Formats: sequence, structure tokens, C-alpha cells
Amino acid sequence: MKFSISSVQNLNKQYGLSQDLTKVGVSKISKIIGAQLGEVDAIQAIGERYQGIIISKVVTCQKHPNADKLNICMIDDGGSAKKVDRGSDGLVQVVCGAPNVKTGILVAWLPPGATVPESYDSEPFVLGARELRGVVSSGMLASPKELALGDSHDGILIIDDEHKPGTDFAKAYGLDNDHIIDIENKMFTHRPDCFGLLGVYRELAGIQGIAVKSPKWYQAKPDVTEPSAKILPLIITNDIPKLCSRFSAIVLSGVEVKTSPVWLQVELAKIGLKTINNIVDFTNYYSYLTGQPLHAYDYDKLEKLSGKVPSIVVRHPKKGETIKLLNGKTIEPRREAIMIATDQQLLGVGGVMGGSESEVDFDTKNIVLESANFDMYSIRRTSMAHGLFTDAVTRFNKGQSPLQTLAVLAKITDDICSNSGGKIASKVYDLNHLPKVEQSSSSVHPELVISADFINTRLGFDLSSKEIAKLLTNVEFQVHLSGQKMQVKAPFWRTDIECLEDIVEEVGRLHGYDNANLMLPLRSTKPATTNELLDIKTSIRNSLSKAGGNEILSYSFVHGKIIDKSLQDELKAYQISNALSPDLQYYRLSLTPSLLDKVHANIKAGYDHFAIYELGKTHNIDDLDADKLPAEGEVLAMVLSAGPKVRTNGAAYYQAQKFLTNLASDLNVKLEFTKATKSTNQQAFKPYDIERSAVVKIKGQAENLGIIGEFKTSVRHGFKLPAYTAGFEIDLPALLRASSSATSSYRQLSRFPSVTQDITLKIAQNLSFGDLETEVKNQLNKHLPEHSSYELNPTSIYQAKLTDKTKNISFRIKIANFVRTLTDKEINIILTKVSAELDKKLGAKRV
Amino acid sequence: MNYQDERLQNIAKTLKKRIVETSNNPDVLRSVEMRALFDELKTLKEEQKASFGKELNMLRQDLTAQIKALKDSDEALPPIDVTAPFDLNIKSSEMPRLLPAEHGSRHPINTEFEKVLDIFYRMGFTVLESREIDNDFNMFEALNFPEGHPARDDYDTFVTVQKDQKGQPLIAPAHTSTMQNRALKSMKKNLEQGDPIALVIPGRVFRNEDLDARHEHTFYQLEGIYVDENVNVGNLISTIKTFLQEYYAKELAVRIQPSYFPFTEPSFEFTMSCPFCDNKGCNICSHSGWIEILGCGMIHPNVLKFAGIDSNKYTGFAWGGGIERLIMMKNNIEDIRHFEAGKLEFLRQFK
Repeated sequence: MKFSISSVQNLNKQYGLSQDLTKVGVSKISKIIGAQLGEVDAIQAIGERYQGIIISKVVTCQKHPNADKLNICMIDDGGSAKKVDRGSDGLVQVVCGAPNVKTGILVAWLPPGATVPESYDSEPFVLGARELRGVVSSGMLASPKELALGDSHDGILIIDDEHKPGTDFAKAYGLDNDHIIDIENKMFTHRPDCFGLLGVYRELAGIQGIAVKSPKWYQAKPDVTEPSAKILPLIITNDIPKLCSRFSAIVLSGVEVKTSPVWLQVELAKIGLKTINNIVDFTNYYSYLTGQPLHAYDYDKLEKLSGKVPSIVVRHPKKGETIKLLNGKTIEPRREAIMIATDQQLLGVGGVMGGSESEVDFDTKNIVLESANFDMYSIRRTSMAHGLFTDAVTRFNKGQSPLQTLAVLAKITDDICSNSGGKIASKVYDLNHLPKVEQSSSSVHPELVISADFINTRLGFDLSSKEIAKLLTNVEFQVHLSGQKMQVKAPFWRTDIECLEDIVEEVGRLHGYDNANLMLPLRSTKPATTNELLDIKTSIRNSLSKAGGNEILSYSFVHGKIIDKSLQDELKAYQISNALSPDLQYYRLSLTPSLLDKVHANIKAGYDHFAIYELGKTHNIDDLDADKLPAEGEVLAMVLSAGPKVRTNGAAYYQAQKFLTNLASDLNVKLEFTKATKSTNQQAFKPYDIERSAVVKIKGQAENLGIIGEFKTSVRHGFKLPAYTAGFEIDLPALLRASSSATSSYRQLSRFPSVTQDITLKIAQNLSFGDLETEVKNQLNKHLPEHSSYELNPTSIYQAKLTDKTKNISFRIKIANFVRTLTDKEINIILTKVSAELDKKLGAKRV
Repeated sequence: MNYQDERLQNIAKTLKKRIVETSNNPDVLRSVEMRALFDELKTLKEEQKASFGKELNMLRQDLTAQIKALKDSDEALPPIDVTAPFDLNIKSSEMPRLLPAEHGSRHPINTEFEKVLDIFYRMGFTVLESREIDNDFNMFEALNFPEGHPARDDYDTFVTVQKDQKGQPLIAPAHTSTMQNRALKSMKKNLEQGDPIALVIPGRVFRNEDLDARHEHTFYQLEGIYVDENVNVGNLISTIKTFLQEYYAKELAVRIQPSYFPFTEPSFEFTMSCPFCDNKGCNICSHSGWIEILGCGMIHPNVLKFAGIDSNKYTGFAWGGGIERLIMMKNNIEDIRHFEAGKLEFLRQFK
């Protein structure tokens, strides 16, 4: 919301609303606004733009001897311009090509040295004295466009107010020293009144502790003016009172559509609105002043578009109906849109944009003025559906007060009549569907009863009821004090005061939050509970990074190609319907694909051997939680890879396993790796090559923790992965359960020396290491004497040729006893027994 | 594959055999036999050309598919014993080992969260992690944004094709406030037993925006909520100020500025004196001496009511702010997109 300091001053001059609000100066005002109203987006000094422009009178105007379209004017600038050539009579010669230049008019003269305001912000154009077809022109007479007032370049600006030649143009229109302050609109989302200058004015007063009184004409129940000319018939019907709670209108006849008065052009220009004609400009001006959008129709065009009697109907569009809008586009409005129509055809989209067929133009004689209230939600949806973003939409979709339509209509009627010579040619139409309470109480919401205590408790203030009442009445609330209670009635334009907290906000803001008493909340010394899942995530990050891993974060959404390349099923993934980029098509089913997607680029960037991991969430449309919402998988995934420059022996799988067992041991968890089978249908398993992958389990438990392994050939090709690539994906809650239920794995130290023995077992080539190891442990547990502990470490797995039927597996066994010294002999006997049993069970021969 | 033309049938057989024999030589596609067939095609009349061409194409696809299948199975690695801790016949010097610890790194966002959450934990706040997919109720409705509310325009949310039980699309949360209702509901009992609700909610949030150096569609926020009897604006300012001073390990000046969020009333933008130049003005604070750090406010009574909490008895405050900015300001990081790009060059700088 933009406003200028001079507009605030002008408003006060015109209506006597309060003490001067601007005497503290621009920088203080913007500071107060920042602290007590909303963020100031920008402050722009516009006075500089209009420096040196002089209001002058055209004294003579003669045809240029060498050019048909040019005139030579002698102008009277009251002698105020310095360093300019003058005739003996003191007049200055200016050549002007405008068709409307004539003797006797007041114009805006840009003398040599002045900058054309229109060019000020882009490439400043400074005027000089130059020859035009042999005649010297000192500076120029400016058009509205050159003065940055509007688009009109058809002629020069003719100043319609009385000024002495030589008056400074900027001073005359309050532009000298003027500043535009732009307040961020977000703050006003619930403040429709602040989309009007009047609303901002009241706030400026309120936050400075100054009382304000709105203009007399701005009231919920204004006096209604009687017709003063021949009645022009009009029938208005409202088919959708739920969406259009109020529709006020009036017909004016005999209006003269012309260029707006200069003061109006200036007011609109300051907030960036272009002048169009006096009728449209007045509607725009009063919309800006009050926040109430207004619209003007050409009555005669409307009559032609109606049946027997000129008519306005508020209704939904019929199927297939289209409308040509003021912006030149033709749309087929959404079926629920609020349309303004005649009894025959559509006229415009209510509250959004008018239609071109009933537009007011310079030939218009009679007009209909509309001041209505439309449902904010409907307006918003229509605006979104058709991409129509107008000032009317901005105002209506905040929910304007329906109690102001009549006052604004009455005021604009007065102004247009006196400016354009129009006469009132109808009764005041007021189709009012508001609840009776709102009508009679002149308030959008019921009165509230509140206490100073309620307010102070929430704000940390220490205000008395009287002080609170003053703050509120300053901005025209009605407050009745009775004992501890305050009865508060919001003025009719305040649609936002619905509950007690809204009054709390009002008081806090008007008084200033700097006055709040800063104190930490008081609470007991009870400790805050920890979040175990978060804690284990921290442990995991520390462990993996200490092991040389690099934590990454990648998007929760992936391109369909990533899912395809990972051989996962897109139909199981939540699909995003409105992503701007195709890279964000689906919620990811697992994390591994996102990591695989990061491998190639890093290898190309020169990283030869790395392990990247991520902790994140996964989603699958088959999994819902207790609230019937998508269940969120919490997983850890890691992918390690080595490029061609690194000499790697053996399978990447084993390095991934090393990372995972190292992590598990940091978390005090023992894992088991069992061969993956085709039967598992989990999406996370899909990219893994089951011939080189294992299902991860907690030792001795049935539950799957996840998968670890290398990737299928097509996956490797799809992601351009080196052959030496492996990864794992682990369910975090399961890991957490295992970790928090784990008992300490501490082994007491024995006072007696331990015995270390190596043992090599020859077993069938197809027997797995895991099966042998398990059995070795079983047998050791069975045969070792009481009070013994042992460590079993594999040292090699050897198979001379791939075609061999057997392989040798060697272990180093370290055995200790807590009550006595074990002898080598004793151990040998035990190992012989163990070997015999292993032979019997697995056909393993000790070598 | 069956070919109408017997000659093609035979050639297919010969060439397939040759693919296997030459251990998958893709030159078969350019063999003399194939070239002869394509030459022959050029000489045929229109009607013959169509049917013969179709068959010839079939033949080529057939051979290409076989070459690819063989290639995949060729490159498929042999099975391994996944129960073993290392490879067959591997030397003890080549046993699998971890990578050098000095190459390890932790993601700066998580590390920053650790630091921030630790401070709040010490201040008595419990941590609850946010969701990455939610429904309209939690994202908007329970936060006092009714359907069609203009404040919804401030959030360009991603929505799913799939619908929830109410027939509404699911939403990728655009703020961690999406957790407020369920958090308040679950803590209501404790509140009524006299324990304040003191929660911080870290999480990933999403906005459907175009990317540039300062805008990400995916970023992180930290939400905080505190509810008890007699909680006021002064408590809010003081809590956040205390946190910021602990975080930056120095005294700071703070300011609050009125703002608007549907789920708080009153609402504020919270501004602190720039900790990098001590309010003097520098590049980080755009030479203003102040940095806007988060949005906050007193929890709207409707939000408490939606969670079944008596808003006359209990009041509370909530805040939410981004994490990336804290890290970017501290480290002078030039582009927000680095965080989720997975580049080791970036990541390894954060230990």
C-alpha cells in the first residue's frame, strides 16, 4: 500500500480529521510505521522529479512559419526562470506542437535546465534551448505523459486551477519535498480498511497517540440524495445474495466525460495510477481513498445490451457464456464466478474486472455507478482461475466492509456531478442482504467485552482501563467502561475485530510493543524429554563421518527417470501435480536412488573414492499411518564408489559392509547379513543386485533392517556408476529399537594369560562363510571350559581356482579363562573336538 | 521372432549364432549380410518395399536386443558370499577398510540444527521433527486459514495427484507450523497437569518456486511453540532474544515489527541487531545494522481451540525461521542451492 505524505496532508486540509500527523518528519514516520504498523518496503522522494517546473500563461500563440503543426508561443512565467532569453516584454518563446495549445491557458513549462519528469527514473533528459525549424524554443510545454501523470500525449497539460504565472508547479500540487511510503501489503491481509488512504491515515494517527475523526460523509448510514433530473429507468436484480451481500448503484445523466482536474491526475500519479478520464479517475480515486472498489458503466451502452428495460443482474454465468474484458481478453468465466449482466448478456466479472462493451468513453453521456460488496473467497478463486489480478481484486479479497458501499457511492456521486455537470437520474439502489444485526448495529461483528487484565496478561503491559480506552477511541472505537469490564464496539469499517485477541493486538500495536515487559517464562526444573530418534541420527552422523563418509541432503522429490532407472514402480510413489520443474515429479520411494544420482558428477569433479550418505524420509502410497496419512519411513542410506583411477581389489560390497558393521558397533548393535532372495518386494531393494546383496538383520532377530549390496547392471549403466559401487539402506526406527535395547557388550579382562590359535577349515565351495562361522561359534560355546571367553576373527578365505570344489577359511581364535590359565594342550584338544563336530555337521576338514 | 521371408529367418539364425560366437560383437549389425539386405531394399518396388522394410527393421531390432541382453549379462558381476566379511583370496593388506577420517563431513544444515536444538533443549524445549507430507487440515485449516483465505496465497504449495480420505490432495508442507495442531493435541494432557508445552520443531519445508541463488523450493525451518497460563508478548521476545544471544554468544538488541499470520494474533517479524558488525552496518545486514530473523506471534485462540485447549486459560507463543540463512550469513555462502546439490567440493568443507 503506497501513500504520499502530501496526500495525508491534503486529506486533513480537506476534512479536518486530526492534528497534523506529519510534523515529526518522514524518517520518524517511517520508523513508527515499521515498529507499529508494518514493514516499510520503500520510501521514495518524488519532489526531485518535479524540480524547476513553472506554471506559465500562454500570452500569444502563432503558427510557425515553416511547420504546419507547430505553434510559436510567448509565455509569461512571471519572470521566475533565470538564464533564459526573454523578449523586451519579458515573455519567453517556446515552440509547441500540441493541438490544444492556445492563448490564455495555464501550462506546465519545463524551462532550459529542467529534467523531463517522465525520464527521471530511467535516462534523465535535461532540456535546453534549441532551434525548431529556424525558431528557438526555450524548453517545452509538457504533456501529462511527460509529467509522468498519465499516458496521454495528445496534448499539453492544461492547468485548470487558478495560479499566478511563475508559481512553482511542484509547490502548487504539494509535490515539493513529497515522499511516497510503500508499506508491505502482507501486514494488511486482514485489514481491508488499510487498502484505503483513509485507513492508513487513522493508523498513522493511532500509533502516534492522536485522535482521529473520519470525514462526515464516511458513515454507515449516509443521507440519500434525491433525483434531480429526468429518471432513467434501471432494474437491478441480485440472484446470488450469498456472494453479493450488497449492491448499491445510482444513475447519473448529462455527464461530460473529459480530462480529469489536474489535482486528481496528480493524486493518482503519486500512487502509480494513470489518468484515463474524469469518471474512471474518480472511481479509482475513491477506491484508493476508502478501499471500496467502484465501477462506472455507460448507461446508453447498457440499455442497448438489455432487453426492454435497461437492467443489471448479479448472477453466475451460464454454460458457454463468454465476456470480453477491459484488458482486451475474452474469457469463459468459471461457473461459480460472480457476474454482472443485463437481462440479455454479461457485462463484467463482478469485483474483478469490467467488460469492454459497457465501458465509459469520451462520448458517454449517462452513467451507472456501482458500489458493491462481493464474497472475498469467490473473488479470490475467480481471480486465480483466470489470472486476473486487479486493484479491485486486491481490495475485495481482503473482505471489504459491506457497510461502506452507500457512503462512498454518495460521495463520488457528489464529486462527479459537480465536476462533470451530471445530474442524479435515479433513486439510490441499495440491494442490502446483510444480516439485520449488522444493519442495525452498524458494525460487522458483535460488541466485545474485555478487561484490562486480559489485555495486560497477554501483552506484558501494565495499562489502566482508561489508557486502553484512549488508545481505542483514538481510532474511533466506542468504549464503555463499567468497573473492570470494557464494552468495545469496533467502527463499521473494521472487519478484523472478531475476538478478544484482536483487541489485544490493537492495543499492543497502538501502544507499541517496545513497552512490553521482557521476562523469560517461568517454569519448573523438570527436565525436557529427549528425542531418541534424533539422538541416534546424531550418533549415526558422527560415526559415519568419522569413518570418512560425507553426509548429503538431497531433494525429497525426484524425476520419474530416477525411479525408472532404479527399477522402482512409479505407481507406488506420491506424484506432485503442480511442480514447476520436471525434476520434482514424485516423492521418493527410497533414498538410494537419490544418492546414486550424485555419484557420477562427483567422480567427474575429481573425487575418486568416497562414501556419501543421507538420513531422510521415504513415502509409499501403500503405507498409511494411524491417522490415515502417508506413513513416513525414516531411513539411512549410503552409497560408496570408486572411480577408475583408484586400484580396488575385491567387491565394493565388502567395504559397504565394513562401514555398516562399524556403525552398528558404535551403536552397540550386532548385525547379520543373509543372502538376499528374489521374494522381497520392497521398493528400496529394487536397484540392488540380489547376487551381490544381503538382507541386513539384527543378529538373532527375524525383522529385516534393510539391504546392503551392489547394483544391477542396468542400474549401473543408468546412473553411469563405476563397477566398484555399493550401498545400503537401513530402517532407522528398527535400528533405534535394537540400539536402545542392546545390553553392554563389555568383556571383563581376565587376570590369566590368553591363548591364541589359528585354525583353517576346508569346506565345500558353496557353503557360506556365515554358516561356518555360526557353527564354529556354536561348537566353541559348547566345548570351551566354564568361565571362558573368546574372540573369533577370520583371517583369510582362499580358493585356488574358481572351478575348485572347496575353499579354505582361516580363523584366529583368542581364548581366555577367568579362573585359571588354559594350556595349549588343552586348547588343542578342544579344537580337535570342535573340528570333528564341524566335519560331522558341515563336512569341514581342519587343514 | 517369426519372419515371413524364409531368407530373413535363416539370416537371423546365422547372425544370432555369430553374436554369441564373436562374444557379442556389435559389428554384426553392419555385417555383409545386413548390408546386402538394405541394398536390396532400395531396389524394390513401393508395395514390396513396405513389407520387406518392416521385416528388415524387425530383424535389426531383434539383433540389437540380443546384443544388449548379452552385454548386460556379460557385465553382470558373479555372485559373492555376502555373509563373509571380505573377498575370496584377498591379501590382508587389501582387506576392506573405512575411508580416511579427514575426508569425512557432516551436512552443515544438520550440524547447525544440532547447535540450535541443543540451546533450546537446555532452555527446556523438547524436539519434535516435522513431516514432509501432510493434509490440508494440518497445513492450513487447523492454523486458522479457512478454505479460500487470502493468506493461503503466500504459500505456493506442492500438492499431490493422490487424494486423502476427504478427497483433498496431500500437501508438501510449506511451513513447520503444519505440526502445531498435532503437537498441541498430544501435549494437552501434560499442559492440564501443569507442565507448559515447550517444543521446537525442525523440518524440511517446500515452496513451489523457481530456483535462484537465494530461493530454494526445499529448505529448512525451525518452529517453536510455548503454551502455559499467563504467557505474554514479553515472554516471547525474551525467549527469542535469550536464544539469539546464546547462539551468537553476545549481547544483542532486538526489535519486533507488527506483521500478519493467520495462526498468530498479534503477529510479528523479529529483528535483531546485526551480530556480525554489532549494529554498525555491513554487507550481511545490507548496511542497515539490523537483520530480520524470524516470524512470530501469540498463538491465535482458534489454533488452541482446534487442539481442544482452553484459550481463556492458556496462552502461548510460536515462532518459525529458516536455518539456511543462519549458515549462509555465518559462512558467507553465496548460493542456497549448494545445500542440496550433493557436491563433495561443498560438503567436505563442513566437518
